[in-house]
Parts: sequence; structure tokens; C-alpha cells
Amino acid sequence: MTVALAWRILTYDKGRTALALLGILMAILLVFIQLGLFFAVPQGGMLLYDHMRFDLLLVSDQYEYQAQPGAFPLSRLTAMRNSPDVVAATPLYFAVEKWKSGKDGLWPDLFMIGFDPASDVLTPPSITSQRAALVKPDTILVDSTTRPMFGQIEAGRVVQIDDRKETIGGSYVLGTGFMGLGVALLSEANFSRLLPRRGLGMVNLGAIRLKPGVDPERVAAELQKSTGPDTRIFTRPELTAHETSYWTTRTSVGLIFGSGLLISIVVGIMIVNQIVSTQVSRQLPQFATLKAIGYGNGALAATVTTMSLSIATAGFGPALAAAALLYNEIRQQTLLPVTLSLGHTAWVLAASLVMAVVSAVLAMSGLRRADPADVF
Amino acid sequence: MAVAFSLSGRAGSHPVPLAWRSLTAHKWRLVRSSAGIGFAVLLMLMQLGFQQAFFDAALQVLRGLDGDIFLQSIHKYQFATQAPFSYGLLTTAKNVPGVASARPLYADWYNLFWKNPRDGKVYLVRGFAFEPDKPVFLFPEVNDQRDKLAADGVVLVDRRGRRFLGMNRDISQTEINGVKVEIAGKFALGPDFVSDGTVIMSGRTFASLLHGTLGNPPGVALGVIKLAAGADPSAVQRELRKALPATIAVLTKAQLLAFERAFQADVSSAGPIFAIGTIVGFVVGLLISYQITFTEISDLLPQYATLKAIGYPTVFLLRVVLEQAALNGVAGWIPAVLLSLGLYRLIGQIALLPMQMSLGIIFVSLGLTVGMCLLSAVIAVGRVVRADPAEVF
Repeated sequence: MTVALAWRILTYDKGRTALALLGILMAILLVFIQLGLFFAVPQGGMLLYDHMRFDLLLVSDQYEYQAQPGAFPLSRLTAMRNSPDVVAATPLYFAVEKWKSGKDGLWPDLFMIGFDPASDVLTPPSITSQRAALVKPDTILVDSTTRPMFGQIEAGRVVQIDDRKETIGGSYVLGTGFMGLGVALLSEANFSRLLPRRGLGMVNLGAIRLKPGVDPERVAAELQKSTGPDTRIFTRPELTAHETSYWTTRTSVGLIFGSGLLISIVVGIMIVNQIVSTQVSRQLPQFATLKAIGYGNGALAATVTTMSLSIATAGFGPALAAAALLYNEIRQQTLLPVTLSLGHTAWVLAASLVMAVVSAVLAMSGLRRADPADVF
Repeated sequence: MAVAFSLSGRAGSHPVPLAWRSLTAHKWRLVRSSAGIGFAVLLMLMQLGFQQAFFDAALQVLRGLDGDIFLQSIHKYQFATQAPFSYGLLTTAKNVPGVASARPLYADWYNLFWKNPRDGKVYLVRGFAFEPDKPVFLFPEVNDQRDKLAADGVVLVDRRGRRFLGMNRDISQTEINGVKVEIAGKFALGPDFVSDGTVIMSGRTFASLLHGTLGNPPGVALGVIKLAAGADPSAVQRELRKALPATIAVLTKAQLLAFERAFQADVSSAGPIFAIGTIVGFVVGLLISYQITFTEISDLLPQYATLKAIGYPTVFLLRVVLEQAALNGVAGWIPAVLLSLGLYRLIGQIALLPMQMSLGIIFVSLGLTVGMCLLSAVIAVGRVVRADPAEVF
């Protein structure tokens, strides 16, 4: 009887229910946005790793996060190739230099990644398909989200980086993440020609690939033993945990969007509660009548909870659709990788249901006032 | 149930505070409605606060510079980037009529590695330097301690630097770039979105930490110029442009701040992110406020109809509804502002962000609150207009 009754109450006053749906939709959308941004920041920090082929990552013990990794001698990485479990050990080199061909004479800082184009360590198809351009002397590939401040990014344009002329060979799609306002890829040879003092002796990231079927954790432990304490080996899950914790706890990001998330949930509870308790007070005589003919408080509470849950569930679908649109907009506006994953969706659904139940519980105090003797 | 209408006065000549009366008639409902609106307002206040804190953090060092006109390389696209110019140009600037002093600010964001003296871990920090006898900052704590900086290898540290740096602890010495430094005192600045903490020192110490004791003198990040008494700023600015090479930008303090603000607004995601949050808070508040006004109007419909029946014009009732909506908004806004004061303080301390209630935030949030309540009342008010005395009873 509770479901049917809840349904009757909800469909009795359609205008009011439509309004309720709109309210809960906004509340859920709000949770979507805050949660999306909360996760987008660590995802932005993971952008390069998500497009890199490796099972284990060798880094310096000074490693902070991807764009500030410290450096270690190349020999540490090449030594890994002696392990029978290791298929490939590929170095990645980072450097930041002035892009002296910016708009209006500005010299924005360019984040550069040097790597072996033959290695396949970077997976985006727009990179692997442009290997020919990368191996040309003094030629770079530029990330497609590099900011307009860098001027037109088009193949064939010659630009000055530090004191050397480089030709833009094309652009690739990966994203600049938190590496900087502009990112470029170079072959190892071009990297060392542009930065002769930097050279290729000190590596920033060592991407290690293992034979299929070997246990990464076991190999990581073994390799860690053989390499010195000044380097560190991450498995992929360890790396994800490290980067996520860096961006959520070491920066203000976690607190900013975490507090936003908390307030969104409270606001959501307020909205649903307002809707449900208005319904309760409007239907008070009816509830009292039900009590009078023998329905217990439990049955009435169940009805209110069902109402609350159905409004939340009904509002969830449209909120999901609206969130997809809004995420797209945020992605374009902020260049943050705000994505609607299954995990987020499940989290938001759970939060919506919790909001609904809490609101229903809060609305029940009104229900207890339903005294049959008072109503008539 | 009856609302205590007191109609001793006639409409227009001696108005009864109807909006106020109906607002306060149900105390419990008032609490609930102001809680609902209040939380939507709180959401907007937090977003506005974060947005302002973001810009304040990015601008606070520039705001804290004691100068009228500033020199920097034209290639500099933001404050936190290395594009130094040679010290000699400050001498040129000093000789321009109307210039009282031209002092160097040295700065580095990417090459100073601070060792946390407690756990030995090394972190990148931001460093500022000036000549101790030529102060450039307005920060009293820095200026009071500048004599200590005259000795080599002495630094001041930011007690509001992120905790993992250990700058907030009781420390007397550590290493920067592997060189031993003495910590002579502290100041309060706080991190921004580039740097976790700040070290301030003399130009000599700065040079030796970056280039060794025999290295070249450091380039100037920013020339800080003070005008002689009575000098015309724009005339001096023109003269400086003439005297200096075209690679140097000559900016007033307002221009320097506007340049940095424009960069932050253009490049960072903070603007759109917090704007979206504020807009969603507004829409949520609109819905909550609509619900409240709609329910109130429904409950008071007999009273409104009665007023109509005894001759009050519809315009009068409209005004009552709008007034009441605005009062509802203010009733939610006041506790939200009070609560946000506490939250700003708490978050400001935990996240080391300069979260501060400003007149700007007060006015914008009040405007948005009253706006959303009035808008929702306008949508909901149709029922009062249609209220027919004959139908109600």
C-alpha cells in the first residue's frame, strides 16, 4: 500500500511534483558538479600517465608529482633492462624553457617532454602517427590545448625556444594538465640539441614495461632492492594513489571542492525535505485518517520515505543528462578533464538516495503530529 | 491558524507591516525557510569567497610592494615567471626627473629548494630578495626585520607556508639548495596556486644561493620606483618610457595589478569554476524560495482574498508578497553571512587561503539573494492576482 499511496500523493498535484523534480534535479546537478571538479583535478594531474605505456615507474626519491619529479641518473634505468622480467625501460626527460615567439612579444614558459619516438611510450594515436615529424631535426609537436598566448600552432611555423629555432611539425591531442600553459614533445636528439647543458644523463621518469603475466608488485619489490634508496619504484595503483593524494591533500583543491560537495549535499537535503514536508502537512488530514483506521506510524513513515526516494530517483535521470551537458561546457572552459564516469555516477546516485532518506526522516516529525482527534 | 492582521490603518496612508507580520506569524516555518534559503546563499558565499581568495592570493605580493611605478621585462606574461633585466637600468631610471628611488626586487619561483629542517625533505619554494637598506615591501613584519638580513646567509620565512615545509615550526636553521641558511625571523604571507611557501632574503644571499658566491649578480625581476613629492605620475611614466629601452614595460601599480589579474582570469580555471558554482547556488536558491513563497501564498490565500474584498487593490497585495519574499531572502542571508564568516576563517586557516569577507562579497551576495527571492515571488504571485474573494470561502 505504501508505494501506491506515495504514487497517488505525488501524482495528485502534478504542478507541485514537477517543481519538486526540478528542485531535486538542481540539487543532484550541484553534487555532480562539485564531485566532477573534485575528481577532475587529480585526473588533470594523471593526464600524462593515463597516456603512457608502463607497468612500473622509476623516479627519483625527490619525486613530488608528475610535473615536479626530480631526476636520477640514466644508468639506474638502463640497469633495469638486465632483469628477466623487464621488456623495456624507457626514459622521459622534462624541461621548461621560454617560448620566445608568443603573442604581443610575450615569452610564455613551455613544458617540454623528450622521449624516444620509436619507443611507443606515449600512446595517443596523434603522437604515434606523427613519428616521422618527431625524428626530423629541430622539429617539435605541440599539444593542441596549448594556450592562445603561444600564437598560432600550425605545422611549418618556425618558433624560437630559448635561443634555438624550432619548427612546429604538428599538434597532438593529450592535454596540458598541470604541466603548464603549453607543452611540446621532442625526440631525445632534438631535446639534447636544444638543451645541450641539460643533456640526457639525468632522467625524470623511467617507464618500465614487464613481460606479460608477471606480477608487477613482486618485480617492483625486487627492483627496488637492487636499485639505490635515491630512486623509487611505483606500480600503477601506487602511482594513482600518490598523485590523487598529492592533489587532494597537498593543495587546496580537496578542501575547496570537498566543502562545496558537503554544502551541496546539505542544500539537497533542504530541498527534498522542503518538498516532502510540504506534502506531509498538506496531506495531514489524510494521514491522520489512515492512522485512525489502524495504519501504524511505521506504514506512514514508509510512505513518506517512498515518496522521497521516488522523487530523488525520478530527478536523477534528468540531472545526469544535464550534468553531461554541463561537464562538456566545464571541460571546454577550464581544460580540466571533467568526465562523467560510471564511478562518479554511482557515487552521485548514492548521495542522492542518502539525501532522500535523510530528508524523509526529518519530515517524519510532522507525521507524528497527525492526530486523528485533532483533524476533525 | 489565523494570521494576526491588524487593519487599524487604511491602505496607503498608514500601512500595516503586513509582510513583516505574515513572515513572523509562523516562527517554525520562518526558521525552516531561512535555513533553506540560507544554505543556498551559503553556497554562493563560499564560491564567491573562493574566487576572491584565488585572486587575492595571486595578487597579494604585488599589492604588498611599496612603489608608485614598476619596471619589468615586456616578455613577462605573469609575475611568477623568470624574465629578469639588468640592474643598470635601475640607475637609468633613478636619474629620470621626478623619480625619488628605483629599487630592485629579485624573485625566483623555480630554482630554490628548501629543506624542511624537521624531516629533511626538500621542496621547491618561492624566494624574494631586496637590498636590506632599500626596502620594497609594505609588509611591516618584513620591514621590521630587514636589518637582520644584512648578514649573509640569513633568511625570513613564511609562517603561513604549507605545513609540510615546516616553516611554521620553531626552527633556526636549514638548507636552501644545499647551502646552510640561518632563519632570523618570520612573516605571514601564505601560499598561492604556484608556490607552497616563501623565503625572503637580501640580494647577496639570493645571488649566492642561486649562483654560488662567485656567480653573477642576479637580474632584477621588478623595478620598484617611488616618485618624488609632487611629481606627476603619468609625466614620470612617459619620461621613464623614453629613457629606458623598449624591452622594459613601465607600469603604474594599478596597471601592474590589472595585468596580473587579466592573466589569472584568462588562463586559470578559477573564474569559470566558481562562477558556475555561484550560478547553480542562485538557481537552487530560486527554487527553494519559490517553494516557500508558493506555500505561503497558498496558505494566506483566504486572507489575501479578504483584503481584496474589503477594497485593497491588487498592487498593494503584490507589494506585500514581494516585500515578504525580500524579507525571507534577508532572513536567510543574515545567518548565512554569519556562518560564512566562521567558515571563511576555518578554511582560511586550514587551506592557508586569504578567505576574507569583503564589501564586494556582501553586496554581490545580498543582491543575488534579494534578486532570486524577488524573481521567485514574481513567478509565484499569479495566484494572488487571481484570488477571487467569492471563491475562497
